[in-house]
Amino acid sequence: MISKREILEKLTNHIVQVNETINPEVKTYIDEYKGPFSQALKENYKIAEVEKLPLCQDTGIVEFFVFLGNEVILEEPIFSTLSEVVEKVYTENPFRFSLVSDPLFERKNTKNNTPPVVHIFQVSGKSLDIKFLVKGGGSENLSALFMLKPSIGVQELKDVIIGHVKENGAKGCPPLHVGIGIGGTSDKAMVLSKLALTKSFKERNQNPVYADFEEALLKDLNTLKIGFQGLKEGVSVFSVHVEYAPTHIATLPVGVSLDCYLCRKGVVKFEDR
Amino acid sequence: MKIDEIEKLRIGELLQYTGELIVMRDAAHQKLLELLSKNSQLPVDLNEKIVFYAGPANPPKNSKIGAIGPTTSERMDKYLEMIFKLGVLGTVGKGKRSDLAVKLCIKYKRVYFITPSGAAAYLSKCVKDIRVLAFPELGPEAIYNINVEDFPLMVAIDTNGNQIF
Repeated sequence: MISKREILEKLTNHIVQVNETINPEVKTYIDEYKGPFSQALKENYKIAEVEKLPLCQDTGIVEFFVFLGNEVILEEPIFSTLSEVVEKVYTENPFRFSLVSDPLFERKNTKNNTPPVVHIFQVSGKSLDIKFLVKGGGSENLSALFMLKPSIGVQELKDVIIGHVKENGAKGCPPLHVGIGIGGTSDKAMVLSKLALTKSFKERNQNPVYADFEEALLKDLNTLKIGFQGLKEGVSVFSVHVEYAPTHIATLPVGVSLDCYLCRKGVVKFEDR
Repeated sequence: MKIDEIEKLRIGELLQYTGELIVMRDAAHQKLLELLSKNSQLPVDLNEKIVFYAGPANPPKNSKIGAIGPTTSERMDKYLEMIFKLGVLGTVGKGKRSDLAVKLCIKYKRVYFITPSGAAAYLSKCVKDIRVLAFPELGPEAIYNINVEDFPLMVAIDTNGNQIF
């Protein structure tokens, strides 16, 4: 059995850490950047780490991707443990409560940043891998779903994605991490695009055709000259990742998710011994 | 900042602002709009103030001031004329705004500043004092008054409607 306490401890620490410590892959890019506000961005991550302050006031909605082995026994349902993790992280640290319960009418703040968004994928074996994103609202508002025709070519698909980033990229606190979900159904494509954002920058799709597509998109997106803070200087996109799934003969769903320059994410692995 | 200083600002200009900012975002703007539509008195005086689109994080223990940084300004464009009519001199946020916002900056001779986003720990060090002015029940979306020192600003839309993005 994997105890609730073990999950709570490891995951809590990790979510606090990504809110306060700069993503090492991102740090290199910030250190190289010399354009407007560069000093503020460099000092920001130093102050955050030393003073245990969040890097961004928008400490996000936490989105979990749970890869649950079929031989794993959990002490309690995973959703309630993850909710408790989020409550602990956000009430015990100087973070922001950014969630409202009823999205349309009342919009009342839940005052503990719960509930998180949880996606569960069953896998075989005794392992439990929990990936997570700390997702800010500004970049989240730029998520998009395109239901395209199956006959669309690769170039046309690239144009759709590039057009979307060109139009919206400056609003999402660039440089951006771009997640693309292709296939499945409309909802599946969106989830895949989020899952793509959990990857580290250097990872490439295992399928070489998709890996080439990621590289080509990254190159093209960086010709947009969006730059840090949308002020045209420095890199525009850190990395592009694609996740894909089989789809219906009549459809080609494409989900696009963008993550802000902080790319706050992580993975914690557990084993049921 | 005074009106004549605002009119001299040009896009791309960097400033280290020291003074007062009124912090408010989506929900507070909506509440003000509702109060105005009922001809009720407003809980804040926005005349000659600068509005900062932000929602601070909770303060750390033993401190009044938490991380603070700009949110997407474009979401507030539909309220911009309302706050200009209430006397607001300028706004601070992040990102490009709509054509409507540009037109309103020309019409009312007002400016839009950006401040670095995703730099909330740094910006919190420029905040010397914070207090809630209205709507405390909204938590991070309440209206706050902050006093800042050497707060980094860049002019993103000037009074002639030139814009940086």
